[in-house]
Amino acid sequence: MSVRSRPLSPHLQIYRWTITMTMSIAHRATGLGLYAGTVLLVVWLGAAAIGQDALDLVNLVYGSWFGQLVLFGYTWALFHHMMGGLRHFVWDFAVMMEPGQRESLAWASIVISVVLTLLVWTAFVWVG
Amino acid sequence: MHDQVITTATVADPKSKYGDAKASTRHFVTQRVTGAINILFILFLVFIVASLAGRGREEMVATLGNFWIGIPFAVLLAIVTIHMRNGMRDTLEDYVAGGTYRLAMALNTLFSAAIALVGVVSILKLVFWG
Repeated sequence: MSVRSRPLSPHLQIYRWTITMTMSIAHRATGLGLYAGTVLLVVWLGAAAIGQDALDLVNLVYGSWFGQLVLFGYTWALFHHMMGGLRHFVWDFAVMMEPGQRESLAWASIVISVVLTLLVWTAFVWVG
Repeated sequence: MHDQVITTATVADPKSKYGDAKASTRHFVTQRVTGAINILFILFLVFIVASLAGRGREEMVATLGNFWIGIPFAVLLAIVTIHMRNGMRDTLEDYVAGGTYRLAMALNTLFSAAIALVGVVSILKLVFWG
């Protein structure tokens, strides 16, 4: 009896990094980032409650180039996670799941989150 | 349930139950309701940070110490901690099981509660005692 090898799943030679997968991972990653990032918010609030000296120290750290970089990333994570959440709200109605639609939704979430981040920083930090 | 071992027999049996249906539905609904409310939190957060970043205590008390800004913000922050605990639970369920899961969940609850406590108490201090 001749044994024919069973077909293998297409693997590395056709592997493609998809935008939907990327946005799914980004949703979880930004969620975890925001989880840790809440410390930044309550440290600021706590310092304000404690006194001017503590607040000055927090403002110094957050106002440094590294602090600003982290806060910029935090802003983007916040907006990206919000867009990811809105995408899930859309999917909860079992729409926008077809090929093409889900990719558009994924691209929209990254584009809108970047635009919102730049808008907020332009309006309140770089110009305001 | 994170400890359940799923075999072919489990899958073949139409009477198999996968986890706690009520708790899972509550988790799903809670995550969506709190997620929707968090959009309001973002609006508050952007307004508060944009107007107070780098400012001194007096200005923070003037804005955040305002009852109608401070109290809603404190409530929204508490709701955020529910959402983050729930979200971390989803992540933990995917990667750890058994005792490790229970330990990680205990730490998760502790962290979320600590964030809520420090955040809310700090805001209440600014609102009621300046």
